Amino acid sequence: MSRQEILDQVLNMVAMSYKKEVSELSESTSFKTDLNGASVQMVALVSEIENELDVALMLADASACETISDLVDLIEEEM
Amino acid sequence: MSIIEKIFEKAKQNPQRVAFPEALNEKMMQAAYEAGSEGYIRPILVGDEAEIKAAIKERGYKEEVFTIVDVNNEDYKTMLVEKYTALPETRLKEKALRRRMEDKLQFAMVMQAADEADVTFAGIDYTTGDVLLAGQMIIGIKPGLATISSIGLCDIPGYDGSEGSLLAIGDSAVCTNPNSEQLASIAIAACDTVKSLLDWEPRCACVSYSTCGSGQGELIDKVTEAVKIANELRPDLAIDGEFQLDAAINPAVAQKKVNRESKVAGKANVVIWPDLNVGNVAVKLIQQFGHADAYGPMLQGFNKVVCDCSRSAPVSELKGNIVISAVRAAGEKR
Repeated sequence: MSRQEILDQVLNMVAMSYKKEVSELSESTSFKTDLNGASVQMVALVSEIENELDVALMLADASACETISDLVDLIEEEM
Repeated sequence: MSIIEKIFEKAKQNPQRVAFPEALNEKMMQAAYEAGSEGYIRPILVGDEAEIKAAIKERGYKEEVFTIVDVNNEDYKTMLVEKYTALPETRLKEKALRRRMEDKLQFAMVMQAADEADVTFAGIDYTTGDVLLAGQMIIGIKPGLATISSIGLCDIPGYDGSEGSLLAIGDSAVCTNPNSEQLASIAIAACDTVKSLLDWEPRCACVSYSTCGSGQGELIDKVTEAVKIANELRPDLAIDGEFQLDAAINPAVAQKKVNRESKVAGKANVVIWPDLNVGNVAVKLIQQFGHADAYGPMLQGFNKVVCDCSRSAPVSELKGNIVISAVRAAGEKR
């Protein structure tokens, strides 16, 4: 799976978990400052990634990602 | 009868099923055995059946005290997966769930979510972080709450508050710098915890260095906003503030400083700190100067009771925490 394909899927999943429009999101979107997310949403996102992309992520590693781009890097490493 | 003796008595009246994913750990098995054989809980040891049975024999325990769940039993695992994935709030699908269930801690939590156990007790080999993260992934955070957190129960000699020498305090352990929404979650969860454990009618004060606007600034704004959010989310609970600590727990001070109706001022039985700096210092003050016994931290905010323990805890402390978590689980079913 190419990085772009992963990114497209992750953007959709972030939009769903954080209740945002995909058009509002990009690689540089920050989980903390732009999405202002609580851990509940990160749990939903990690579950979704594990279900759909067939990788195992540590919640702690995912929570440490600053931006969506960092999260895609993490998924690529785990694949 | 001390509070902890009362809690032990209560546990005996309705023993709960406690799953132990660190069953092979010597201290953990001893604590589970004592709590089980004395009738406080029904211990379930989760792991490799042959290894567990060998350890029970070697340590001279009676096997019939325990229920043993073999993590290699594929039929049982499949039954758990089916039950878990059928739950309305679960997010993990079969493949991702099975991968996570390779880990005994998460296996035990799946059992708990699927109502095969009432409590998961761990934290002697696993770290607190492992338990918190697994709890969030498998058991989940209670709807409406923004964070998990903890409270402690202090038994303070010479203190004569609205619950005698007892006072519940939070969060002194988990949530470092809560925002207003998270602070509201801590207050709400704390009320639910003391209700389930102690049958108290919670009166919860969010404390600060100001009482009802006597001071001003962003540190206070966070607390007043939290009270507002908590009251909107749970109008059934008595959560009030911002109060200074003395106005929260001392009726004479409250009468002077709180010039409005309050179900909480002067008679709070739950005190919520604005952040972990205050929380940690406060619990040390209560212990050092007040010579109090502090029980906990009890984790809260999960859909079901998840309990962590100190990795250096002696067997007696483990047993106390196991029994407390079992009583909470029984209380939450009511």
